[in-house]
Amino acid sequence: MWTDRELLAALERGDEEAWDEAFRRLYPAAFAAARHPLASLTPSEAEDIAIEALTLLLPKVKQVAEFDELRLLVITIATRKAISEKRRQLADKRGGGDLTSLDAMQDDETIRFEPVEQLLTHINGTDLRELSRLLDVALSSLEPRQADLLRDFLMHHLPYKELSEKYRMPIGSIGVSLARGLNKIRAHLQTMPKLWKELAAYLR
Amino acid sequence: MDAESFTALALRVISREATDDERRTLETELASAPARREEFEQLKLTHEILRVTSPMTQATQAITPGLPAYRANELRTAVRQYFGPAASRGKNPTPFGEWMPAMRWLFAGSGVAALGFAVVLLCFANRSVEIGLYGTDLMRGGDKTLSAADVPTARLVTFDKDAPFDQWQNQPLAWNEHAKIWVDNEHDLLYIVRRVRHGAVVTETQPLAPTNEGQREQIKQVVDALKN
Repeated sequence: MWTDRELLAALERGDEEAWDEAFRRLYPAAFAAARHPLASLTPSEAEDIAIEALTLLLPKVKQVAEFDELRLLVITIATRKAISEKRRQLADKRGGGDLTSLDAMQDDETIRFEPVEQLLTHINGTDLRELSRLLDVALSSLEPRQADLLRDFLMHHLPYKELSEKYRMPIGSIGVSLARGLNKIRAHLQTMPKLWKELAAYLR
Repeated sequence: MDAESFTALALRVISREATDDERRTLETELASAPARREEFEQLKLTHEILRVTSPMTQATQAITPGLPAYRANELRTAVRQYFGPAASRGKNPTPFGEWMPAMRWLFAGSGVAALGFAVVLLCFANRSVEIGLYGTDLMRGGDKTLSAADVPTARLVTFDKDAPFDQWQNQPLAWNEHAKIWVDNEHDLLYIVRRVRHGAVVTETQPLAPTNEGQREQIKQVVDALKN
């Protein structure tokens, strides 16, 4: 059984067993990132993206100080790749004439993918770790039910109708509950003004 | 519109859940209360940031699914392509650590150099030729007999008694010796023991020239031939 430090040292040497172990440990995170709701790729497409993201760790291994940084790195790589793949698919559809109606053109999400891709290009492992910590703190400060509702809305991108059914709440109350929760999370995020400013800069 | 109702409406619009009527209501509200424009933008930004980053933060906790077995070889190939053949990568660190490449270079270079030096030494060393003869023969023959000046590339080894001369004749060639020659007056033969290819040693004889002068020329020719 490798410790994280031993594993990282072996990875730097190119030890194949170490890389097998690292890929085994990191694949779930890479796959979860590739399944980002914004990209909404199929499991098969997400698997390809996850594998590609894992191979892209090879040249990065000497740039990290801890094994856990590889996890954060593969998540950002896989997310970015997944979003780019979705954008490419939509562009192909548009180019192929599949989207013809005005409504379809208005719903074309390639336009709002641009700032997201830009954000993902700049977000690093430290930012992600900090965000993760802040979100944990923010969500744990909420009522468990409200925290779960927000998780489903933000992390799984469930629409109001599904949230209403899952939580047995009137659809009119969903928005109010989400809005309260979001305001509390925003208050936590703004305790890190530098990070907030950086993230906001790419999405404005 | 109170603050909570405004936030709920704004979130419905931001998350594309709003009806056309709700969108129009929001537009009217933003137009009549410009301060709410900033509030709307902040909520939209929060929503955007969390919409992108919260699935990523959740991915840090993922423990399933496992790596599909059929993709493992693909990844191993990538590792080999990046790091080179497995044989060139040590699993365990060596005591010399990062000095190993330099050590390898040094020792590999020294090894080659030492081997080359040994080959050169052997090439030069095994060119030596010894000529064995009785000391009395040298004195008796006068200026017609063989002298060191006649065979400057060979070494004359003189003997006063039979036993050591016989011993010298019978002992194998030394590692640095190419050949030895001696005259067998009893059988009128010139003995030549020499190395041939791959270190094999052969013994050859030639009929001895009848005169001292002829023998001297004969030995000089043999020595020259051995040197060449």
